[in-house]
Amino acid sequence: MTSIDVRDLTKEYGTARAVDRLTFTVEPGRVTGFLGPNGAGKSTTMRLVLGLDRPTHGTATVGGRAYATLDEPLRRVGALLDAQAAHGSRTAYDHLRALAVSNRIPDRRVDEVLAETGLTSVARRRVKTYSLGMRQRLGIAAALLGDPEVVLLDEPSNGLDPEGIVWIRGLLRRLAGEGRTVLVSSHLMNETASFADHLVVLGRGRLLADTPMREFIDARVRPRVRVRISDGGPALRRVLAKHGYEAAAHADGHWTVEHARVDDIGRLVSAAGLTVLELAADEGTLEQAYLDLTASATEFTTTIAPQPQEA
Amino acid sequence: MPFVPVLHAELFKIRTLRSLLGALCAVVLATALFSALAGLDSGTDEKDFDPLFASFFGVSFGQIAAVAFGATAVSSEFQGGGLRVTLAAVPRRGRWFAAMVVAVAVHVMGVGLIAGGVSLAVGRAALGADANSLSWAEGLRGVIGCGLYLTLMSLLAAGLTALLRSGVATLSVLVPFLLIVSFVVGGVSGTVADFLPDKAGQVVLHASWDGSLGPWTGLAVTALWAGGALLAGAWSVRQRDA
Repeated sequence: MTSIDVRDLTKEYGTARAVDRLTFTVEPGRVTGFLGPNGAGKSTTMRLVLGLDRPTHGTATVGGRAYATLDEPLRRVGALLDAQAAHGSRTAYDHLRALAVSNRIPDRRVDEVLAETGLTSVARRRVKTYSLGMRQRLGIAAALLGDPEVVLLDEPSNGLDPEGIVWIRGLLRRLAGEGRTVLVSSHLMNETASFADHLVVLGRGRLLADTPMREFIDARVRPRVRVRISDGGPALRRVLAKHGYEAAAHADGHWTVEHARVDDIGRLVSAAGLTVLELAADEGTLEQAYLDLTASATEFTTTIAPQPQEA
Repeated sequence: MPFVPVLHAELFKIRTLRSLLGALCAVVLATALFSALAGLDSGTDEKDFDPLFASFFGVSFGQIAAVAFGATAVSSEFQGGGLRVTLAAVPRRGRWFAAMVVAVAVHVMGVGLIAGGVSLAVGRAALGADANSLSWAEGLRGVIGCGLYLTLMSLLAAGLTALLRSGVATLSVLVPFLLIVSFVVGGVSGTVADFLPDKAGQVVLHASWDGSLGPWTGLAVTALWAGGALLAGAWSVRQRDA
């Protein structure tokens, strides 16, 4: 299967280091979320993988080969870098057709990806009449054109309406389910949490994390339990304290118990004879985990120097 | 990756942009129109009347359209990250640039020959008896020369645009150069001005010439200019980050 391998990758623009000795592998069969603030080097890394920019140092390969050495690369790798890339005066159909011709992809694929991205009815309109969301769909259609094993998408949900965001989530899950290698950059945590299996996190060009998403969250966010009872707050606090838990009351009447699992708290509360209205595991979110990570990465807390082109 | 599909894609891209098709039409229209006007306005009574150049006078205007076409064809790739999409599809940059250059050349050569033919026809008609001294061989040389000259000028613009990464920059260099510099130093022959790309190449459109360059050596000089610009453009495309 085809993976993306980044080894010791470094890119300098003048004196600024946009990508700093990155090493990670994007595996097939899962969606890898590529996270980091604007200017962290996500787009630069993607351009380096596609051979568009030359690395100062290190390598980036797809299936073991440098992208620039691939024959008819659109059949192996599909990428969305910038939704504004299609020429405004061409129609969507012609834009895709030109790409298909250069890589000897049959014309029927143009119709297929237009249908898949919901652009069939507007395919003969010029791209300059498109909304950002439609351009984004066209960029995704171009990425899917060659039925590639590897898909790289830079901020694909930019400009999409809520329906489009749900659609892209399903699309990414399906592509990974078909065994493809999927790398999706984003700076939106909740959005990434909805589709990613694995995370690669960058900060100022450096690798901050490369782990499965669940582990990433569990390692960084303390488990909590949320409890709401009809009455008897002091009794709750007492019974929990006896077993070493600390309960905190909240204004709207619910309690949270830090470092606790629902199984344990449920049993204790029930044994104490309290009436439970609500009992839930307060799962950590990706956002909490991410903020925890960035707070602990020291270079983050210093002022962030302006980074070159997050285009 | 094979060259032919890449060339097909570049030919297709030119045909699907209205501005480029417009520039191609303008090459024919401007050349023919100004040749007709010049034909009506000149005759053997002028001091240095040249019946062939009188028929091809419009080339001076048609070349602006040819230059605009070459610059726009390349600059359309540089808009809004378009080059990244192109080079992600065709990562062999030299091959892509060569396909692009051939696609530009094929189109301009086609319309250049049409423009030359139409020019010669309307020019001769407008000149009337003043054109009687023109031989068919001279006429044919003019038509072919017109096609080659316009092609080379469009390639000069294409190469410069790839180097400067901007159609506006290229046109703001070339158009004033063609309209002003050439007209100012145009009357002076026998100097280095003879070796400017437009002066050298336009010798082929004259029935008689007195400089050091003949019709074909003149075109060869223009070809050197165009070749130099294309090499510089290719270097830029290959070396720089997209």
